[in-house]
Amino acid sequence: MHQDGGGTVRVILKTKERKKPFLPIEAETIIPSNFLKGPELTVYEGNKERLLSDLFTIVVEGTAVSPDKVEVVLKGDTARIKRVGEYMATGTIRIQGDIGMHCGNFMSGGVIEIGGNADAWLGREMLGGSILCRGNAGHYCASGYRGEKHGMRGGRVEVMGNAGDFCSEYLTGGEVHIHGSCGDMAGVEMKGGQLIIEGDATRPCGNMKDGMCMIFGTVHRMLPTFEKIDTKKLPDRNVTVTVYKGDVANRGKGTLMIQKPHDEGDQHPANTLPCPATT
Amino acid sequence: MTELLVKNACVIDPHNRISMEIMDIPVRDGRIVESVSAGADIIDAKGCLTLPGGIDSHSHVCGTKVNFGRYMSPEDMRAGRTARRGKMHVTSGYYVPTTYGNSYRYSAMGYTTVLEGAMAPLEARHTHEEFTATPHQDMLANTLFDGNWAIMEAVRAKDVKKAAAIVAWTLSAVKGYSIKLTNPGGTEAWGWGEDVSSIHDAVPNFNVTPAEIITTMIAANELLHLPHSVHLHCNNLGKPGNYRTTLETFDLVPDKNNGRQTLYATHVQFHAYGGTTWRDISSKAEEIARAVNAKPQIVMDMGQIMFGRTMTMTADGPMEFNLYCLHHNKWSNHDVELETGAGIIPVLYSKKSLVNCVMWAIGLELALLTKNPFQCLLETDNPNGAPFVKYPEIIGLLMSKRYRDEECATLHDGTEQRTAICALDREMDWNEIAIMTRAGQAKALGIAAQGKGHFSNGAEADIAIYPIRCRDVDPATEYRKVIEAFRKTMYTIKRGRVVAREGDIIVEGANSTFWVNPVVPDDLNVANDPEFVKKFEEYYTVRMGNYPVQDVYLPRGKCIRTEAAL
Amino acid sequence: MIIKDVVCPFCGCLCDDLDVEVDGQKIIKVQNGCALAEATLTGNNRLPAPIRRTATGWEEISYDDAIRETADILLAADRPLLYGWSSTHGEAQSIGVYIAELIGAVIDNTSVVCHGPSILAIQEVGHPGCTLGQVKNRADVVVYWGCNPTEAHPRHMSRYTTFATGFFVPEAQKDRTVIVVDTRRTESAEIADEFIRIERGRDYEVLSALRAIVRGKGSILPREIAGVAREQLFRVAEICMKAKFGAIFFGLGLTMSNGKYKNVRNAIELTDELNRHTKFTISPLRGHGNVYGSNEVFTWITGYPYAVDFARGIAFYNPGETTAVDILRRGECDAALIVASDPGAHFPHAAAAHLAKIPTILIDPHHTATTPLCRLQIPCTMAGIDAEGTAYRMDGVPIRYKKLIESSYPDDADLLKRIHDRIREVQGA
Repeated sequence: MHQDGGGTVRVILKTKERKKPFLPIEAETIIPSNFLKGPELTVYEGNKERLLSDLFTIVVEGTAVSPDKVEVVLKGDTARIKRVGEYMATGTIRIQGDIGMHCGNFMSGGVIEIGGNADAWLGREMLGGSILCRGNAGHYCASGYRGEKHGMRGGRVEVMGNAGDFCSEYLTGGEVHIHGSCGDMAGVEMKGGQLIIEGDATRPCGNMKDGMCMIFGTVHRMLPTFEKIDTKKLPDRNVTVTVYKGDVANRGKGTLMIQKPHDEGDQHPANTLPCPATT
Repeated sequence: MTELLVKNACVIDPHNRISMEIMDIPVRDGRIVESVSAGADIIDAKGCLTLPGGIDSHSHVCGTKVNFGRYMSPEDMRAGRTARRGKMHVTSGYYVPTTYGNSYRYSAMGYTTVLEGAMAPLEARHTHEEFTATPHQDMLANTLFDGNWAIMEAVRAKDVKKAAAIVAWTLSAVKGYSIKLTNPGGTEAWGWGEDVSSIHDAVPNFNVTPAEIITTMIAANELLHLPHSVHLHCNNLGKPGNYRTTLETFDLVPDKNNGRQTLYATHVQFHAYGGTTWRDISSKAEEIARAVNAKPQIVMDMGQIMFGRTMTMTADGPMEFNLYCLHHNKWSNHDVELETGAGIIPVLYSKKSLVNCVMWAIGLELALLTKNPFQCLLETDNPNGAPFVKYPEIIGLLMSKRYRDEECATLHDGTEQRTAICALDREMDWNEIAIMTRAGQAKALGIAAQGKGHFSNGAEADIAIYPIRCRDVDPATEYRKVIEAFRKTMYTIKRGRVVAREGDIIVEGANSTFWVNPVVPDDLNVANDPEFVKKFEEYYTVRMGNYPVQDVYLPRGKCIRTEAAL
Repeated sequence: MIIKDVVCPFCGCLCDDLDVEVDGQKIIKVQNGCALAEATLTGNNRLPAPIRRTATGWEEISYDDAIRETADILLAADRPLLYGWSSTHGEAQSIGVYIAELIGAVIDNTSVVCHGPSILAIQEVGHPGCTLGQVKNRADVVVYWGCNPTEAHPRHMSRYTTFATGFFVPEAQKDRTVIVVDTRRTESAEIADEFIRIERGRDYEVLSALRAIVRGKGSILPREIAGVAREQLFRVAEICMKAKFGAIFFGLGLTMSNGKYKNVRNAIELTDELNRHTKFTISPLRGHGNVYGSNEVFTWITGYPYAVDFARGIAFYNPGETTAVDILRRGECDAALIVASDPGAHFPHAAAAHLAKIPTILIDPHHTATTPLCRLQIPCTMAGIDAEGTAYRMDGVPIRYKKLIESSYPDDADLLKRIHDRIREVQGA
């Protein structure tokens, strides 16, 4: 069967029932470019190596010659599948439901779309490409790895729901847009890039060095070491924000813009959201 | 009884003045012998370069601050990781590998003996535990005395015998090998956040100077007849203009030993800076080399830096804090009561930095300008200058002017005015490299007598066979082949057993730790000195009875007894 | 018979100056130790033999059978967990790591419920610390933040800080200023020269404020931060900057309140800032006697101090993902070996409950809160009592536990070695 140069292939992976459904699956081999080659991919279930076909029914529609035309679709009980999209450079991954940890790690191009919730470390150390999560994201959304000086460096992460704690920790470049609220310490250690939070946040931007963060909901427990500089009108949103510079404790030159005035004697408890994807 | 015959080896054994001779090496029960029976196992070296096992005379691989470096750096641990395979455990770490990581990588490069650069006596037990987990190299421990309160009191009292007695008790208690001084006096000043800035500065509260500490310890070392000399990390490491301190320090050193140097000055590159600030820093390698060429009583090692990321870790606490103030990287500090200090901070050596380019040049200049290769050994102060896996590249640079020129062309353009590296034509030969990587170390450390670093009859059968035929390769132009060859042996043999084959470790190790027990007369033994005991119990936070390292920590310890001339 | 200079294995202080009187194979008297030491060393409630759970209760089994069954359970698992390690010696801890590596398990230690966050902070900003003797001999300012040493580390102040005489601090308490920071007035606060009371979960804000003050930017601060008057913070910052040698000690008040490792990081960064003015150090008050030992051993073998996952044949580390509490809470693990710790008592309920659902083996001399959760319990020696071995004090100083009495129990290092060898044997076949 011949294909034309512009053909797209759709690889539909549907989870099979498992004897031990709580075991995590590590599936860093699930990236679009891997599906152009013939041989069967392997994934790990706990400490056992498994063939992809052991854990998924695989249906392939169409053909393609280049990886950017590969679309991988994941269906079924996908909440514990980790590392999907890791090091992805091109192509598309669509997950119908929830997805496990480390989705889109080190991604440098392409598109990941998640229909449900994403577990922790969504888009970790991302370099490029875009991730859209229609549900909630867990802790450490768009952040870095322990000990590294830089987190996400480029690309775009958009979460339609809420994000957990430490969202965008060490953000170095790229854009993160949370439509819902964040948990504790969003933007902590930020040093570049842009973080926009439409909802609420608690103790945002601790130790910020650089970069820009805008929060349009309520800020709980504003840190005392941000210096109020100015007010500014944002014409495309038609709102006025207060502009702060900080974190002064860290010699920071970051910009934090807050729409709603916060209460200095704020007594609200930390707004820590539970990790949404799995229990 | 196990017998091995290495056939067709192209041997360089500087100790025995053998240079590129094709010969057979008979081994029985772990030692070089005259001949073996027809039933011996045979390894055909196929005319390839065969050297005694490599010896690293200054490397930070085991102990408290090394482990600090590991657990504070998960990002380095993941960068250098390898999977479990055959006999090999998992390893982690690129510039601060885990103990098995270090052991396997050294073994792949043909190294069979390593001197741990710095061990604080109070934490010696930790060093020894890690020695056992570095199973393919015999280990020795430089024991820190630079901030030792009892020593400083003896120095103030001008009591060399007392100093010697303290050294003797401490070395045998903690099973150390040699006297290490790191920024002597400075580490005690750092206990208050201060430092010393010259060898004649008084250490606060103790009123002794670094010069006095150094000269007293040199005298004590020789009185105790220790196999190695005092091993010194000079004051003012890393500061522009510090070459003066280094030269002044060298001037303190008498010639007290016929068998070896009287002072081993370590990582001298870091101590060879001219200028007054980072802006006008320049190389004073020429001056330093001139001094060393005129003083057979001094041996130094290069302390070569290589570009890239690495970790600095030393007992020189104040120096590490200065690096923190400069670069703001994550900084750890660990002062050890009554003894010494430690600091750890990652660094990046970059070609874009003129200062780093000057540093890179200095290390090479020191080696190329020192006439006698026994006096300038190949080291990077691993990992401070670079991880030891970069030694092969350094060999390439020393043997090939062309390689140096190619590298120089990529450096910051200010480098040429500040250093002489581009003008140096010397190309080290195979023999000189063999000296700088094993024979010189064996002599300097005093372990040639233990059968290390040579192929004499009765010597330990530590043999490294590199996949290169010296006569077929011109190192001046084919330096890439040289580098590849030194990266991975065909065989690394330790005590007559093949431990590594083309980079794979194929057996579990059973290394030995060498330590010294300098015997002093009872009346001088500090354990019988009530003042010493009283102060110990009062100021330390461990009991004197719990301080010594028990025999169980050295399952195959090799004790070298010396008789003190007290 | 009196044994001198005994090392107490209970808490991170690892006091090594105890005198213990032994009569036959019984410890009858402890001198110099605190009440916790006394209870640890003279306690006498040990399980006599290995036990296996039956439908109706427990039956005794032989060590050989227990070892075999343990090996079988671990080999059959897809995600086994080896947890605990903090109350035994380094020799046993090492073997635990080798077992985990052999079977592709996750191995974790009690840092996860205690100073794991401190480790995470150190991994971000380093650890400017020192050995305890430096504090004893030099410190004129001592800060206890989020901890109550009077109760949890009873001899810390008399051996290492407030009440200890040192070479440069001959009059001990008279020469020292003690600052206590906590959310409530504890017993430790009673002896403080300055007590800062912080609103719960708001240590981070106060630490940021202190950093700004030390930087000279205190003018931007509001009048009150987390319930603390700005004036008090100015005063305390002044005390710290004028110190000759300051030492900060901290505990679960920082590690287990909101922000966790960020709290500790902020405290470390405050210490860094203070070092530009004077000498300052910071140290965690480690709880278990040899938890630091498990960090050290795990690190030199695997590269990581806790939460190490060998499932992929490499060492992988990611607290929050590879930590025992998280793995149990998510129901991921299908077999567990618990050694020298009591997760039944210390873990959140959801995590501890999972242990009861899977085959769990406990190696511990005593009946504990974990016993009801396990299928098999194997008693062994107690490090520091009837077994000797290496332990690491809270400041990293390694000390050897003494063996005070003989017993018929196997050393847990030997037990683990036999389990390790049995696993190797089966794998080889």
